[in-house]
Amino acid sequence: MSAEFLKALTANRLGEGDVVFWSSGQWVEQFADAELFTEEAPAEAAVALAKAQNRTVVDAYLIDVTRSEQGVAPVSYRERLRALGPTNELGHGKQALGGAAIAALQAASGAARSTGRLDLIRRK
Amino acid sequence: MYRYDAIDKEFLTDRSNEFRHQVGRRLAGELSEDQFKPLRLMNGLYLQLHAYMLRVCIPYGTLNVAQVRRLAWIARTYDKGYGHFTTRQNIQFHWIKLRDAPDILDALAEVNLHAIQTSGNCIRNTTSDPRAGATAEEIDDPRVWSEAIRQWSTLHPEFSYLPRKFKIAVTASAKDRTAARVHDIGLALRRGRDGTLGFEVMVGGGMGRTPFIGQTIKEFLPATRLLSYLEAVLRVYNRAGRRDNIYKARIKILVSSLGAEEFGRQVEEEWAQIDAARADLPDTELARIRAAFIQPGLEVLPPVSDSYEAARAANPALARFARNNVSAHKAPGYAIVDVSLKAHDATPGDANSDQLEAIADLAERFSLGDIRVTHEQNLVLPHVKQSDLPALFEGLVAVGLATPNINLVSDIIACPGLDYCALANARAIPVAQSIAQRFLDADRAELVGELKIKISGCINACGHHHVGHIGILGVDKKGEEYYQLTLGGSGAEDASIGKILGPGLNADQVAPAVDRLVEVYLAERQGEERFLDTYRRIGMTPFKEAVYVDAH
Ligand code: HEM
Ligand code: SF4
Repeated sequence: MSAEFLKALTANRLGEGDVVFWSSGQWVEQFADAELFTEEAPAEAAVALAKAQNRTVVDAYLIDVTRSEQGVAPVSYRERLRALGPTNELGHGKQALGGAAIAALQAASGAARSTGRLDLIRRK
Repeated sequence: MYRYDAIDKEFLTDRSNEFRHQVGRRLAGELSEDQFKPLRLMNGLYLQLHAYMLRVCIPYGTLNVAQVRRLAWIARTYDKGYGHFTTRQNIQFHWIKLRDAPDILDALAEVNLHAIQTSGNCIRNTTSDPRAGATAEEIDDPRVWSEAIRQWSTLHPEFSYLPRKFKIAVTASAKDRTAARVHDIGLALRRGRDGTLGFEVMVGGGMGRTPFIGQTIKEFLPATRLLSYLEAVLRVYNRAGRRDNIYKARIKILVSSLGAEEFGRQVEEEWAQIDAARADLPDTELARIRAAFIQPGLEVLPPVSDSYEAARAANPALARFARNNVSAHKAPGYAIVDVSLKAHDATPGDANSDQLEAIADLAERFSLGDIRVTHEQNLVLPHVKQSDLPALFEGLVAVGLATPNINLVSDIIACPGLDYCALANARAIPVAQSIAQRFLDADRAELVGELKIKISGCINACGHHHVGHIGILGVDKKGEEYYQLTLGGSGAEDASIGKILGPGLNADQVAPAVDRLVEVYLAERQGEERFLDTYRRIGMTPFKEAVYVDAH
């Protein structure tokens, strides 16, 4: 178990349903642009702010993030799929943007599938 | 086909106006999410992983040409150009915006479609036989009774807040194409000894985390007494079903804890209290509904079409399609055509807008404008002249819908799984594709014959894995996707719940494991046995040994 506190804040936009991430008071579309919290207090403060935005987003919550050689990625498979889009339609969702950050997230997903790392935590 | 009257139409328009108002108040911040969520769910709108999802009701899986064209238009205008047909004969759109939902409901209402009772603890869409009105096997047209149930259950005030969701199926043939025995109530049409029409009533079937096969509580319910009897069943359930624990709230838990006999006794007691004259359908109304399902336009034709026979002899691809996707119609010279939504690289149950439009055009030209959805996530064109089959086949080929694999190994049911669903543990779609890919050889698939593989991304079992000949359940093993295989399930007239094969497999191991199961079957089968029959005869051990051979 990694001892490092590393989290991001995510939600879905109310009017559209799109997945969004918190970045210094703004909601951004891409996980790569998400603010990473390394301490609990500011993370919880951001959650409180997000929950107050009843007209902007729904279902705001913190997700666990991990660092590896490929970069940072959500720990759980579910959250990586939210950050990317469905794997049966690679042109749909955020992954359609392409580029290095998306490729890194996709690589992290691939790794989880084939290596069977056992310390992954699920949020549900 | 049944036509909605002015009252139905007004009701749909009112409902969509009401929802527009509710969405407006939510977007303006006048309603909180907690207040709004039950309202949007009542209109079939869920929040999934990437967007909202809209589930549109397709009453007993029956669509007309205008409706299919409208679904295609909605997919193109408001979604990403496709829709997903479900195991409940409905269609889901996976990329919907809340802002657009009221416009979509309006567009649906114009063609008499809606999303009412596609979610929530109410009576859901009735499942029925996609071959209704076309097959000679049926005792009566199950759509007549499904439509009666639709009218009775829509916005039924007493049954709008049941302990849990409630699903009814009506089947009318010896061959059950509705999975009636895994519904809360399964109704099987029967003829009494005196020739009168009735139902065998099965209750307490279901899947989810505690699967049960429904048990017969009444061997022969006179058909005219259907609605009062359903009322009695629902009333007993509504009163005694558990509301304290969501996992124990389905009727199956009540039936299993009381025992079917005691449950049946309580229903009889309740039924005796009900005023039949008030509750049962008047004969005039039944006659009106029945008249709506008399199929106009069927011609008197010779039983065999020479041009079709010649085309089949000359074209091996058409011959293969005919072997697997074409079956007998009750009218001489006609055929029932199954349209597979399971091409090997497709997402099971998905159809894009071009395909939907092509289906509408083909149904208009060749199937008396009638289109059906199956609970196995395929479509049916029920009334095709044999002489039109070659042209229909070419039309299907042109849009990638002529896959000749109905009931074969690649005709796989799969729920959306972790690619879309907020409740999922693991993906289902890529697993289905990996199996289809492995069985690309159509000759081998035909050699294997009927083999029903069903995949769910979590224990809710939307993909019917419990009743797959081979069932595949996605589980989460410490953050990784794993798959648990079951053997020996069936959702048909010989219904049974599958048994676990052994330890879970990772995604890459599933298709090779299925291949080994198939090899065992091919080596062991006798005569005309299907995979399921062989399994039932020889048991789990040979299959288990073949899959886990490396583990020794
Ligand atoms: C928004 C996505 C979905 C959600 C949230 C959802 C939720 C659920 C839940 C919670 C159950 C278990 C119910 C219980 O045992 O009380 C269930 C069962 C079921 N769902 Fe879904 N489902 C979804 C999508 C689908 C899809 C795509 C299909 C068809 C492919 C489907 C068809 C069914 C069926 C057939 C069952 C099992 C039969 C039963 O026991 O009622 N659902 N679903
Ligand atoms: S079975 Fe589970 S993963 Fe699949 S659609 Fe149902 S709830 Fe979602």
